[in-house]
Amino acid sequence: MSKIVILGTEVQIIIAVYLIFRLKLSLSMSGEEEENAAELKIGDEFLKAKCLMNCEVSLILEHKYEQLQQMSEDPLNQVSQVFEKSLQYVKRFSRYKNPDAVRQVRELLSRQQLAEFELCVLGNLCPETVEEAIAMVPSIKSRGRGHDDEAIEKMLNDMSLIKKFE
Amino acid sequence: MYASCSMLKDFKKMFLKVQLNWNVVIPAESLDIKGLMLQKAILIRLLDDFSTKRATKDLGYLLAVTTLDKIGEGKVREHSGDVLFPVTFTCLSFKVFKGEIVEGVVHKILKHGVFMRCGPIENLYLSNQKMSDYEYQIGESPCFLNMKTGSRIEKDVGLRCVVIGVKYMEAMKEIQAVVGLEGDYLGPV
Repeated sequence: MSKIVILGTEVQIIIAVYLIFRLKLSLSMSGEEEENAAELKIGDEFLKAKCLMNCEVSLILEHKYEQLQQMSEDPLNQVSQVFEKSLQYVKRFSRYKNPDAVRQVRELLSRQQLAEFELCVLGNLCPETVEEAIAMVPSIKSRGRGHDDEAIEKMLNDMSLIKKFE
Repeated sequence: MYASCSMLKDFKKMFLKVQLNWNVVIPAESLDIKGLMLQKAILIRLLDDFSTKRATKDLGYLLAVTTLDKIGEGKVREHSGDVLFPVTFTCLSFKVFKGEIVEGVVHKILKHGVFMRCGPIENLYLSNQKMSDYEYQIGESPCFLNMKTGSRIEKDVGLRCVVIGVKYMEAMKEIQAVVGLEGDYLGPV
């Protein structure tokens, strides 16, 4: 049931007690309380949301996975299906593996007056030519932010340099 | 394309790092252990809730809690005696949007199209009508072949495609999407 690493028997007892209690609770709980517990105030929270590139997610998830590995012999059992599939995916589709390179790409792209989602699409797909970049993110060309072909080309060159020297 | 891009800008995309406020309920029984143990109980309860939740319509799939930012003051519930703690935490989630260009891995080939996997999304469907340059090849390992360029869509191939539509299935807590290959620089990678 609990997919996280359990540190001591006390905690297991707590969980067991909790489970019994939840059973009782679900019988006695009023509808209002239930709504409250599951509430997600999406509007406000989305303002703070930040996009991440595949390579950044890969670093975070792998770090989490290593933590689990240290605490348990069978870490695959501890993570959810969603976690496992995502880790597999970002491992395959990360263009940059080295943490320094990931940081450099984020720095480079965040200097370019790009929206968060544009930044991530470029960082994920690593287009090689200006036409390809525009096909992937049509909005970089069309919003008059001084992204002429030359600027885009320079950005793509810098990206491939980071890849080369990582 | 223009409209869908501005939509993307508002909603953000793909992997999101987002701060959420949830309420965590700690049963009265576990309250007599004080201090650190209580924090641990709250964290465990939160992680449990988080993995049970699996996905939401707005955030997509919930991947992992990265930080627990704040535990607010607990409120006692009158009937049961357990305590409700407002908790602020940061997590990662994954979602795809219409108009977005994604990469996925082909895992099933059928005569009328292929199914792809993209992170936690199991079913990304690419119909043969959305890849008119490719023709179905029957055989031991069936594939779709582009006669002009010779490029081949087969099992375990990575494919770059554009998202045409997305649907969230509440009952299964699952996202399904339809994708296409009609556009420049799309196809096997």
